[in-house]
Amino acid sequence: MAVPLLETRNLSIRFGGLVAVSRVDLSLAAGETLCIIGPNGAGKSTLFNLISGIYRQSSGTVRLDGRDITGWPAHRIAAAGIARTFQSSRLFGDLTLVDNVVIGMHCRTRTGVIDALLRPRRARAEFEAAAERAGELLRLVSPGLYERRHTLAGTLPQADRRRLEIARALASDPKIIMLDEPSSGMDDRDTDALIEDIRLTMAERPGLAYIIIEHDMRLVAALPERVVVIDYGEKIAEGHFSEVRLMPRVQEAYLGQKAAHA
Amino acid sequence: MDVFVMQNLLNWLVLGSIYALVALGFSLLFGVLNVIHFSHGDVSIVAPFVVLAVVQALLASVFPAATLGALALACVLAIVAVGLIGVLADWLVIRRFRNAPAMMALVATVALGTVVREVIRMVYPQGSNPKPFPRLIESRVQLGDLPVPVFSLFVIAVSVLMMTVLFAVMRYTPLGMRIRAVAEDRATARLMGIRPGHIFAATFFIASAVGAIGGLFFASYAGVVRFDFGIQLGLIGFSAAVIGGLGSMQGAILGSLLIAGIDTLVQATMAEGASYRLVFAFLLVIVVLVLKPSGILGRPIMEKV
Amino acid sequence: MMAEPPRIALSARHTSAADVAVVAAAELGGALLLGLFLLADDSRFIVALLVLLGAGFAALQIRPAIEERIVAAFRNARFTALGLGSAIVLAYPFAMQGSSYALHLLVVAQLYAVLALALNFQLGSANIPNFATGASYGIGAYTSALLAIDFGVSFWLTLPIAAVVATAFGFLLGFPSMRTRETYLALVTIAFGIVVHQLLNNFDWTGGPNGLVGIPAPTILGHSFAAPIELFGARLPSQANFYYLAAALVALAIVSARRLHDSRVGLAWNALRADELAARCQGINVVWYKMLAFAVDAFLAAFAGSVYAAYVSYISPDNFTFLVSVTIMTMVIVGGMDNTLGVILGAFLLTLLPEKLRIFADYRLLFVSVVVILFLILRPQGLFPQRPRSYGGR
Repeated sequence: MAVPLLETRNLSIRFGGLVAVSRVDLSLAAGETLCIIGPNGAGKSTLFNLISGIYRQSSGTVRLDGRDITGWPAHRIAAAGIARTFQSSRLFGDLTLVDNVVIGMHCRTRTGVIDALLRPRRARAEFEAAAERAGELLRLVSPGLYERRHTLAGTLPQADRRRLEIARALASDPKIIMLDEPSSGMDDRDTDALIEDIRLTMAERPGLAYIIIEHDMRLVAALPERVVVIDYGEKIAEGHFSEVRLMPRVQEAYLGQKAAHA
Repeated sequence: MDVFVMQNLLNWLVLGSIYALVALGFSLLFGVLNVIHFSHGDVSIVAPFVVLAVVQALLASVFPAATLGALALACVLAIVAVGLIGVLADWLVIRRFRNAPAMMALVATVALGTVVREVIRMVYPQGSNPKPFPRLIESRVQLGDLPVPVFSLFVIAVSVLMMTVLFAVMRYTPLGMRIRAVAEDRATARLMGIRPGHIFAATFFIASAVGAIGGLFFASYAGVVRFDFGIQLGLIGFSAAVIGGLGSMQGAILGSLLIAGIDTLVQATMAEGASYRLVFAFLLVIVVLVLKPSGILGRPIMEKV
Repeated sequence: MMAEPPRIALSARHTSAADVAVVAAAELGGALLLGLFLLADDSRFIVALLVLLGAGFAALQIRPAIEERIVAAFRNARFTALGLGSAIVLAYPFAMQGSSYALHLLVVAQLYAVLALALNFQLGSANIPNFATGASYGIGAYTSALLAIDFGVSFWLTLPIAAVVATAFGFLLGFPSMRTRETYLALVTIAFGIVVHQLLNNFDWTGGPNGLVGIPAPTILGHSFAAPIELFGARLPSQANFYYLAAALVALAIVSARRLHDSRVGLAWNALRADELAARCQGINVVWYKMLAFAVDAFLAAFAGSVYAAYVSYISPDNFTFLVSVTIMTMVIVGGMDNTLGVILGAFLLTLLPEKLRIFADYRLLFVSVVVILFLILRPQGLFPQRPRSYGGR
């Protein structure tokens, strides 16, 4: 069997006495889309924070392309090819849209202080090329963003903030993109538009793998092939959405919660 | 025990008490308002000047003989006055930086400190020169082989008393509860009918008045006071509050004892201790913060993702 | 795919006569205002000039379009602006009517401009508090002076050595920024500054509180910087030598600031200023970039220190106190964080204001502090706030 692109084994983290993520095994192939669902506070975002190196695992391993990246600092994991968005989008609000996306290319560009100071031509060329590519990426994700590329990111409405975050994540040429509740804070129409945009970017880059945390069932049904259900930090089910949704344990943990939510 | 050791232990406690009175203000203000009031040291050092002025006025007019009574009255007046100056400083300047980045408030209060120093220098006659400041209590008691100044015991006792009162006020009185509520969550406190503006004023009064006691002791301990003593007093009080963990009153006391400890130790053991005391005190600050980035008793900053 | 937007080469930019006129008016007007201010003796006249300046900024505050127009003109008429600006800087000492005091003020103001630009890399670009720029300034000055006095090293050689020494200290100071942040980091830098000041005050080989005396003036091609300049029949006081040296340093600082700002490094700093955690997730090694900011700050500050030592030929620890660091910080905030022009203006204002207010003698420190506080309240974004980065095609 081929080595999976991303593989977690026994991944766990404890905060004091609380086990937030417990012995989670995940496996993701190149080009695949995996959706993680589960009730609020189940540990989904914590799982993302573990994979992206923001939290340090208590035990378990993470492998990317067969390489052990467990415990690496966040910036090295980003450079290794795992990009992400945040549940409450974390843009660089006082910078322009282009700036935001160019920052996303940080680990694909090289200029250091010495280059910037003593080889201005080279640094400038790289910088302008990055800006050029940033423009293309913005246009790919949404032409509306491209039009506004020189305005400040802090002024964007919620749906566009999410799109810009996705553009920024794409900018690092990642192998995997992790989207943390891309539809949170958006109405149905915006969510539909977002699904379209995500589909478009998926078609554009077939090799790219996605892990998506989602609450919106329409998005879950529309996009991913495979679903993992997390509850109380543990993986309780895995499979295609149409099968998983029928499992009693899942309905109890998640859909019951959903009904109560509505 | 050796007289020398006992002497230095006493010095340590006196110095630690004085620093703690100032550090508590920093910690209280940071805990409640999330603001660094960098002019706190300068405001505190206004107190000895008020005392000198009041004593002179009293001796010249009302009761020429009753020196001790005049001094006591002057101290009380000074503490209240400095408390009000703190409230005024907040009302005029600091409250305008409630929602600004921390650096803005820091720089603004540094400038405010200069204003306070310059006003002292100009208002007080020949304000640029150092002024002799009396020991609040002159007598000594014999403790074994060691003659102990009553003043030292008085400083320690008053500091411990003030700390106890402060703890009790914060923990058991309605005012303390309101202060803690505002510190915890300003918006919710407002919903509960607490007016944060009043709480801020109260906090500034308490912090500045306690600082004033520290300022009085500082001047009295040194036997002299000058308009710019507040810089050093403020820096040391601030450092003590920070290495203890900002917002934690126990931390402020612990930090003060640490800094006073290294201060006393260096002066007692090194030949040129007096000139190197600040070097070691601030090296200690750096070392503590490298090892404990949010202070000894501070809550570690855990960012929500 | 849509057509690529047309890319306009810099040289082919359309420069209109109106742009040139705006640029010339702004530069000449600024130079004139500064000159009048420097040479004024009458206190009423000085106050009138300040009122005029205040009115100018009030106009900018009320009508932001004016600022946009000026900025656009400078962008369009870039070479005119650069040429005219350089000419004004070069010719300026000749317009000072031989006043060595005015030239002295300009030297000091320019050195502070370099220090403020140095700090701006940290405070402005990356929002890292640093109350130790004064210490780096002092380390540079002392290194350079000690090398010159004790070992007879040429000033031009001490310049880079002092910078390297200060940079090493900068990295050292940046080390705690790995874990400490905000107020706590601010205190680390304050403590570092005090330790450096106290050590300079106590060591024998630094001259203790008396400092170092008799630091030799630099020479270039046999011309000593302590001698007046005689050129085209005009005779400039010796301060003019250092005026030009400091101007070159300011130019160096501006070029460095611009190159770093419009590069991957500047963006990384801005990213960690806005959101450190998100920056980490973009692959930015925030610890490295923080230490880098400390190092760059120290590097430039040391240059300023070396020039200062050679200029006044006498330095003591009290030139490099905590309050000096605070002053530099105030310059950056008052001028406008992450805005090169604003920071320079902040440095000039806060250097010249107290000097020209000597007529108020005792009250000037009070006055300046009150102005700073009012300023922070009324215009917290600074004289010239940060502007969005511009890319080549725009």
